[in-house]
Amino acid sequence: MHHLQVKDLSSAYGPLTVLKGVNFTLAKGETAALIGPSGSGKSTVLRVLMGLNKPTGGEVLIDGAALDYSRPASVRAARERMAIVFQQYNLFQNMSVLRNVTIAPVKIKGRPRKEVEAEAERLLSKVGLADKHHAYPDELSGGQQQRVAIARALALRPQILLLDEVTSALDPELVNEVLDTIRGLAADGMTMLIVSHEMAFVREVATKVVMMDEGLVVEQGPPEQIFGAPKTDRAREFVGKILRH
Amino acid sequence: MNYTFQFGVAFAELPELLKGAIITFELGILAFWGGALIGLLGAALKTYGTGPLRWLAGAYVVFFTNTPALIQIYFLYFGLPELGIRWSSFTCTLIGLTLNAGAYLTEIMRAGYISVRSTEVEAAETLGMSRWQQIRYVVVPHIAKTIYPALANFFIVILVMGTSIGAIIGVDELTGQAINISTENYRWIEMFVVVAGIYVILTFIASLSLALVGRWAFRVKAKVF
Repeated sequence: MHHLQVKDLSSAYGPLTVLKGVNFTLAKGETAALIGPSGSGKSTVLRVLMGLNKPTGGEVLIDGAALDYSRPASVRAARERMAIVFQQYNLFQNMSVLRNVTIAPVKIKGRPRKEVEAEAERLLSKVGLADKHHAYPDELSGGQQQRVAIARALALRPQILLLDEVTSALDPELVNEVLDTIRGLAADGMTMLIVSHEMAFVREVATKVVMMDEGLVVEQGPPEQIFGAPKTDRAREFVGKILRH
Repeated sequence: MNYTFQFGVAFAELPELLKGAIITFELGILAFWGGALIGLLGAALKTYGTGPLRWLAGAYVVFFTNTPALIQIYFLYFGLPELGIRWSSFTCTLIGLTLNAGAYLTEIMRAGYISVRSTEVEAAETLGMSRWQQIRYVVVPHIAKTIYPALANFFIVILVMGTSIGAIIGVDELTGQAINISTENYRWIEMFVVVAGIYVILTFIASLSLALVGRWAFRVKAKVF
């Protein structure tokens, strides 16, 4: 059974249809990358999965059970199983690093503060920020903020981690520190769905690549196929362009 | 100049002046908090309200920020008795200052509402926070931090400039007490030099307290002077 299954998913911003029937699956422990040109709907897929945008059609199934995004309980269930990290980190500026990471498990999931703090400290060490517990987001670099955002998402113990262009807002020299963190997660067997423009990284880390264009999946398969021998003209054109750079 | 300064006379009145200073603080704090409640509501109506409610909040702000507080207090103290409504000078000053502060604070708080980052609210939503938790943990702290310096400055403005208006209609706050005493001992210069000093001390205490609270609660690096 697929861990995550997206079937004919569609979504719209007002009159503009952004997703026109997206299909892909994700197995447990798999790292899938959503690639494609800007405006192809990659980020919208993640937003729909998290219940930030409403689907207008299709289905999302986790371990075979369909999520009904029109029901708040179902949206809550989706957010219990999945966590997202945004391009702009979106940390709570009024909270310290530690509180950013612990607030949801403590206040929403009702877990004991001591236990959550110990876990948060482990997570922050894992993303290389053991010494930044008491810092505030505006005292950190972009790369550090993004790693806090990853720790915050992991503190929710998600089954699937969604990463939305997490290195796009970073200075080039800070990109690697975030990519290293994601490499580590992949090695640990975390199931991830990554939207990324870092093609070398996608090639290295992803076990599956889903290429989108104009709200549809154009082609999907292992990275060797998508980057080495794409089957469709659109994928060939896209890959040809990006590999020239 | 044939004038002998006698500051001893003014210092002898310190206990009476300090009673006035306490009334000044009372007026300042009550008018500020009353105004803050009005401001919170007014800003919500101006930001999220529709039709007549939004218009009403806008008209309130325009009226009270474009007329002197003294006129508003005169209206309450001298105008309303004509309609059979009589309030004490303290009440009229308090209501006048509160309504006046409410209008300015509506605009200050509106800036806070507008500044809330939708991305942080979205992050809170994806972490599973309910609407109430989003407001409690993300929206309100953000608004408070954003507008805190402006709020603190405005409190000083009400405390120093606003409350002394009460003296004109006979409120025995700090300036009023000084006028009362000076009309008896004719030591106007000494009295008002001492009163000015007390105002500076009051402002210093308020600024320092607000700066400390700001640093502790909101990490606002406010300067006292």
